[in-house]
Amino acid sequence: MGCALLIPFTFGLPPVQGLLMLLGIFCGGIYGGSISGILIRTPGTPSAAAATLLDGYPLSQKGMAGKAIGMSTIASFCGGTTGAIIMTFLSPQIAKIGLKFGPPEFCALAVFGLGMIITISGRSILKGIISAIFGLMITTIGFDPLSGVPRFTFGSQNLLGGVTFVPALIGLFGYAQVFRNIEKILVLPPVKSKVENILPKFREIRSTLKTIFKSALMGTFIGSIPGTGCDVAAFITYGEAKRSSKHPEKFGTGILEGVAAPEAGNNAATGGAMIPMLTLGIPGDAVTAVLLGALTIHGLQPGPLLFRDHLDIIYPIFAGMIMAQFILLIVGLSGARVFARLINVDRRILTPIIFFLCVVGSYAMRFSFFDVGLSLIIGIIAYFMEYYGYPVSPILLALILGPMAEQNLRRSLIISHGDPLIFFTRPISTAFITLAVIVIITSYYRIKRAAEREAHRISIDRERDEKNEETEI
Amino acid sequence: MSAGFPAKDIILICPWSAGGSTDTISRTLVKNAKKYFGVNVNVVNKTGGMGAIGMGAVATARPDGYTVGMITFQLSTYRLMGLAKLSYRDFSLIQLVNQSPAAISVAADSKWKTLKQVMDYPKKNPGIVTVGHSGAGGAWHLAIASIATQNNVQFNYVPFDGAAPTRTALIGGHIDVATTGIDEMLQLYKAGKVWILAVNNLVRHPLFPEVPTIEEAGFPNPHPILDWRGLAAPKGVPKDRMEVLIKGFKKCFDDPEFRKLAKELGLPLVYKDPKGFEEFLKGMEETLEPALKSVGLLKPME
Repeated sequence: MGCALLIPFTFGLPPVQGLLMLLGIFCGGIYGGSISGILIRTPGTPSAAAATLLDGYPLSQKGMAGKAIGMSTIASFCGGTTGAIIMTFLSPQIAKIGLKFGPPEFCALAVFGLGMIITISGRSILKGIISAIFGLMITTIGFDPLSGVPRFTFGSQNLLGGVTFVPALIGLFGYAQVFRNIEKILVLPPVKSKVENILPKFREIRSTLKTIFKSALMGTFIGSIPGTGCDVAAFITYGEAKRSSKHPEKFGTGILEGVAAPEAGNNAATGGAMIPMLTLGIPGDAVTAVLLGALTIHGLQPGPLLFRDHLDIIYPIFAGMIMAQFILLIVGLSGARVFARLINVDRRILTPIIFFLCVVGSYAMRFSFFDVGLSLIIGIIAYFMEYYGYPVSPILLALILGPMAEQNLRRSLIISHGDPLIFFTRPISTAFITLAVIVIITSYYRIKRAAEREAHRISIDRERDEKNEETEI
Repeated sequence: MSAGFPAKDIILICPWSAGGSTDTISRTLVKNAKKYFGVNVNVVNKTGGMGAIGMGAVATARPDGYTVGMITFQLSTYRLMGLAKLSYRDFSLIQLVNQSPAAISVAADSKWKTLKQVMDYPKKNPGIVTVGHSGAGGAWHLAIASIATQNNVQFNYVPFDGAAPTRTALIGGHIDVATTGIDEMLQLYKAGKVWILAVNNLVRHPLFPEVPTIEEAGFPNPHPILDWRGLAAPKGVPKDRMEVLIKGFKKCFDDPEFRKLAKELGLPLVYKDPKGFEEFLKGMEETLEPALKSVGLLKPME
């Protein structure tokens, strides 16, 4: 959104400066969105930070907001730099892989991504799946580009475009958080953030390095597939980090790896998303679509010829992407102390401010009061869902991947004349479906076993406590 | 000049999002507006509802001349497809800005080199050739569908969500043929990645002089479906103010900077005054009705 708002300001600037400004906003926005995600459980950037808050917010509730921001800064820096370097040296090669993705591959990728529901469901996988199905149902609202028919709009023009992302996000996280704050405004003592503890210790960073670099590579690749961006990268890397972790049960309770993985993934995806945009003129995600427009405004047509005719633009873009990561590191680490203090502000003051920002945010996206009402309704639903233990993150994942899965499923079947074998006769799509099945099954068992272990330990502890009590008596 | 109009900045509502081509055109068009109006014209993006929200906002704005808007091809289909009660009749038209014809393209390594080969193949193998387009009921879907119906050809249509994924699918080899705006293929065409079989228009395109028209390719089509963009104000703007708007935007339209950008984008600028614009839109609805009917999307609203 930042990019879209600031495009007009870049009009007067020379092309390179204007583009670099937008690139800076792009990278900075993906990183910065996580700060509000960590502190107030409301992602500042649509979608990209929604996976970060799963562990970031519990961390800040434990008084470790500074550490969480520090970790997210370092992971963002590592991820972003990896993505930018890969973009600089391998763009044309990676773009070729991206082209191999047709409708069946996109559908298989979306199914693979939806498999992550298992890992972000929290305590009850069944409730997570119910949430996800609710999300998938929401995505069917609106004009259907495949059949040309409006679905579930009840004749409302406002619903023709479907439930858009920003109001949904503000409702699911922002408003829901406001309501929860109101509920316990006088009951809970305020969280004291330990401000002295800003930087994660070297030991802690080292233990997450493997996660960071794996996530960075995955993020770059996911970003480079046309049509999938930072949001998908964040969820898939989070899911993978949890699945392959030695202690999956700790994810969601506030651990640093849970912040590091999605942050490295989504920042790496910024570099990845630039690849198809620059080499083929195909936007990798919504923000690069705006960048594409900016290039055209400056009289440059992105595409294969850009690399031949405009190296004077391409090289500064590469250099700028890498520079942006360093600036982000400096700003993030020096600001973490200030940001972390925000959590110490009295809830009675903070809550109305968040509420106000939610109203402004949902209105400003398209100057629409309908969106304000819509996000408020979604907020109320989300509040009660969480109250009864239904996690809201699967809804978000469904909103991101639902249309991709549905449209490409139907598109594939149109191409194959209704023959479902199309998904299994093509190597990439077969690979993703197999992976999806493996990931779903292994994460299910790993998480279940970890939960059982946890339950077992608790019961042993309890027995021991009881025995101790007996002996004391 | 009408007495005291405009006394403050004018708002131009763009119904599509920032960074898109309609937005780019709007912003470049009014870049030097201050020279011609004495005030700025500010672009505001009011998106959603497939453009119906923004265009609806123009139609219902206060008719004082300070709110105008871009109207685009979709306005010709809302009423016919039963999506919204909105048509060109709800506006005071200012001018037509551009008309874009469809390009019928194949990948550079396709086995087909002419439109005739593509059209002949399905006659023996109906429904095998996959044709990608940028959305059901959109200009490019209807353009190819009407040509196919006129010539009794059966294609397997694969709708995508916009031109970008359609292009990707074409050069990735996932579809056989793609219909898009011809300007949307400029880069890939110049780079030799796609081969354009024909342009669906009565005349050739200046940036693609070697691409034959649909008639030259062997399939005469006297009423081609064209994508269009124009400017309009709400109904009821006082006559003298409309005069100012019409004259002012014509000057913006003739601005050399705007001309230059349009040329680079491969966007054929076509000016029509309010009367000519209205006739064009009337004709467009008449052409669209049978085309929509042939693909089963005709559900006219009262």
